[in-house]
Amino acid sequence: MIQKRPFFITFLAPAVLTAVILAAAIFEVLQYSVREFVPGSLNVGGLTLENFARINRPIYWWVLADTFFISLLTAVFSLLASYPVAYALVRAKKDWVRSALVSLSITPLFTGEIVRTFSWMLTLGTDGFINSMLRKLGLIDMPIQLMYTRFGVVVALVQFSMPVMIILLATAIAHVDRDCERAAANLGASPSAVFWRVTLPLTLPGILSGIVVVFAWTMSAFSTPQLIGGGKILMISNLAYLQGFSVLNLPFAATLSLIALVCALGSLALMKTITGRIERRLAVN
Amino acid sequence: MTETAIIHPSKEAGSAVDIVRVRKDFGSAVGVADVSLTIRNGEFVTLLGPSGCGKSTLLGMIAGFVTPTAGKIVVDGADITDLEPYRRDIGMVFQSYALFPHMNVHDNIAFGLRMRKLPAAQVEKEVARAIAMMKLEGFEARRVRQLSGGQQQRVALARAIVIRPKVLLLDEPLSALDKNLRAQMQVELSELHRKTGLTTIFVTHDQGEALSLSDRIVVMNKGAVQQVAAPIELYRQPANGFVASFIGEINALPPGRCELKDGTASLVLPGVGPLVFPTAPATGFAPGRQVRAFLRPEHVRPVLAGEAGPNVVTGKVEAHIYQGSHTITRVVVEGIGLVETRVTGAEIVASAPVGASLGLAFDLSEAVLLDTAD
Ligand SMILES: Nc1ncnc2c1ncn2[C@@H]1O[C@H](COP(=O)(O)OP(=O)(O)OP(=O)(O)O)[C@@H](O)[C@H]1O
Ligand SMILES: [Mg+2]
Repeated sequence: MIQKRPFFITFLAPAVLTAVILAAAIFEVLQYSVREFVPGSLNVGGLTLENFARINRPIYWWVLADTFFISLLTAVFSLLASYPVAYALVRAKKDWVRSALVSLSITPLFTGEIVRTFSWMLTLGTDGFINSMLRKLGLIDMPIQLMYTRFGVVVALVQFSMPVMIILLATAIAHVDRDCERAAANLGASPSAVFWRVTLPLTLPGILSGIVVVFAWTMSAFSTPQLIGGGKILMISNLAYLQGFSVLNLPFAATLSLIALVCALGSLALMKTITGRIERRLAVN
Repeated sequence: MTETAIIHPSKEAGSAVDIVRVRKDFGSAVGVADVSLTIRNGEFVTLLGPSGCGKSTLLGMIAGFVTPTAGKIVVDGADITDLEPYRRDIGMVFQSYALFPHMNVHDNIAFGLRMRKLPAAQVEKEVARAIAMMKLEGFEARRVRQLSGGQQQRVALARAIVIRPKVLLLDEPLSALDKNLRAQMQVELSELHRKTGLTTIFVTHDQGEALSLSDRIVVMNKGAVQQVAAPIELYRQPANGFVASFIGEINALPPGRCELKDGTASLVLPGVGPLVFPTAPATGFAPGRQVRAFLRPEHVRPVLAGEAGPNVVTGKVEAHIYQGSHTITRVVVEGIGLVETRVTGAEIVASAPVGASLGLAFDLSEAVLLDTAD
C-alpha cells in the first residue's frame, strides 16, 4: 500500500506529528494529575490519588454542572438565533441580501476571541451600550447588572458560536429538496405546515450536529467566562486556570483539566448516541 | 368495489381546465408564450415538446409554483391564477417524485389527507384504498429510500390521487425508469386514468409515450403551442413542419407546385418531375399552390432499379439502419435529397448494398401538404 502511494507518508507526517505532540501533552497532564501538590513550589511530589478525591466537593460539582448548563443553554439559544439567519441566507431571492448575510454572519469568525469579548464588555457594562440606551429611552433609572452574570456570559457565548451554527444549518437547509416542499404545498400544506413538517425535519441532521459542535465548543470556553463572568461565573476551564495560575496548584489544575476533557468527550458521545438514534428514526440520510 | 371508489366527483362533460392566453417571461427570455388551451373533464392530455419548450413552466403555473406574467387559469369554473398552491386541490407527480424521505410509505400517502384535517379513521380508509389501487400492499412501513424506482413512482401516484384532486399533473414521471419498467408503468398509468377518470395533464418529450397514452396531445415548441390534436390526427395531419418532423420519422420533400390536369392531381417538383396523387388530397391541395410535401418512410417503397412506373425515382443507398422488426434505408435522390424508406425485415441490406442504386416508389395517398412558409 505504501509502495503504491509513495507520498502517503509525506502527506501524513504533519498529522502524525501533531497527534504525537498532543498525546504527549495529554500524558503530561495525566501524570501531573496523580502527583502530590507541594505548597509554595512548582515542583510536584510523589504519586497520589488525593487530587481526584478532592474533586468530590459540592463547589467543584457545582462548577461542573454550571459548565454543562451554560453549554447547553448556549447551544439551544445559538440554534434559535441562527436558524432564521441561515434560512434567510440560503433562501433570499436577491443576491446582495445573501452576500450581505454571509459576510455579516461569517466575519465574527475572523476577529479574535479577546476582541469579541472586549466588545461584549463594552456592550454589557454598567455604562455600556445597552444600559445607556435603556437609560436614554427612560426605561430604567438604575443600570441593570449584565456583566458578571450567567446571562451576560451566555449572550456572548451564543454570539461567538453563531457563525459555526449558521454554516452548519445553512448547509443543511441548502440540501433540502425544493420539490419536496413544493410537493407538500401541492398536497395542501400551508407555508408554516411546509416548514414544520418538511423543511425542519429534513434539516434535523444539521440541527443536531450544530448543537453537538456548539455544545462541545462551549464546554471548553475560557476567555469569555473569564472576562465577562469575572470570577463570579466559573466554568471548568476558569477553575483549572484559577488552581493552576493563582493557587499554583498544578496537580489539581491538571486533574480538573482531565475531568473537563472526560466530561466533554463523555457528553459528546452521549449526544452522538442520542442524535444517531433520532436520525435513524427519521432516516433522512 | 374499492377500485371504483376513487372516482372523480364531477365526471360530467364540460371543461376542467381553461388556460387563457397564459404567458411567462423570465427576464427577456420567454418561458411560455401566450398559450390558450381547454382541457375537458376526465381527459388525458399530454404536453409534448423538446427540452426547454416550456412544458414544466406551464405545469408549474397550473400547480401554482410559477406566477404567470399574463393570462388566466380557470379550474372547475374558478379562476385560480392568484390562488396559493396549497389551496388549489391539484395533484402533482414530480419528475424526481419528491417523496418525503423522513416518512414511510403510509405517511407519505396520508400527508395530503392529514393536511385536510380528515378524521384518522377516514385517513386510514383512504390510504388503504390508494395502497390497494397502486398495488403497494406490504410496503406501508417501508422508508421511501428502500423502494425501487417503480415502487417510488407508485407511491408518488398514490400520494397525488388519494386527495381526489381536481386535476392530476404528471411531469415526466416515467423518464427516470428503465425501458421495460417504463412500458409497464405506461399501461398502469392508462389503467389508473380509466379507473379514476381524473383529468390528467401529462408532460413528456417522448413522442411514443404521448401517442400511446393520450386522448389529445399538445405539441409545444419555444414556449408556444404548435398543434393540439388526437394522436392519430397528429400523426396523419401535422399542422406544420415542426410537428411533422417531431412526431415520428418523416421525409420532407423540396417545395413543389400543385397541378390538376385531366382530373389527375399531381405535385411538380422542379428537376424531378410530377408525382401523382392516387386521389386528390383532401387538405392543402389547390392547383397552382406552392407546397411542401411530407411523407412517412412507410409510404416510400423500394423497387428494383430500372423498374419504371409512376412516382418512381432513383437514388443511391447511403446507409441501412437495422432495427430488428424493420430496416430504415437512407437513399440520396438527386433533386430531392435524403429520403428514408422503411421496410420489414432485413433483406434490403443484402439486396441493395450501400452505394448501389435503388428505385423508390412514393405513395402520396398519405402525404401531408403544408405551406412552404411553415
Ligand atoms: N426560473 C427560471 N429562470 C429563468 N429561466 C427559466 C426558469 N425556468 C425555466 N426557464 C426557461 O424557460 C424555458 C422553459 O423551461 P421549462 O423548464 O418549462 O422547459 P421544459 O419544457 O420543461 O423542458 P424539459 O423537457 O427539459 O424539462 C427554458 O428555456 C428555461 O431555460
Ligand atoms: Mg421540464
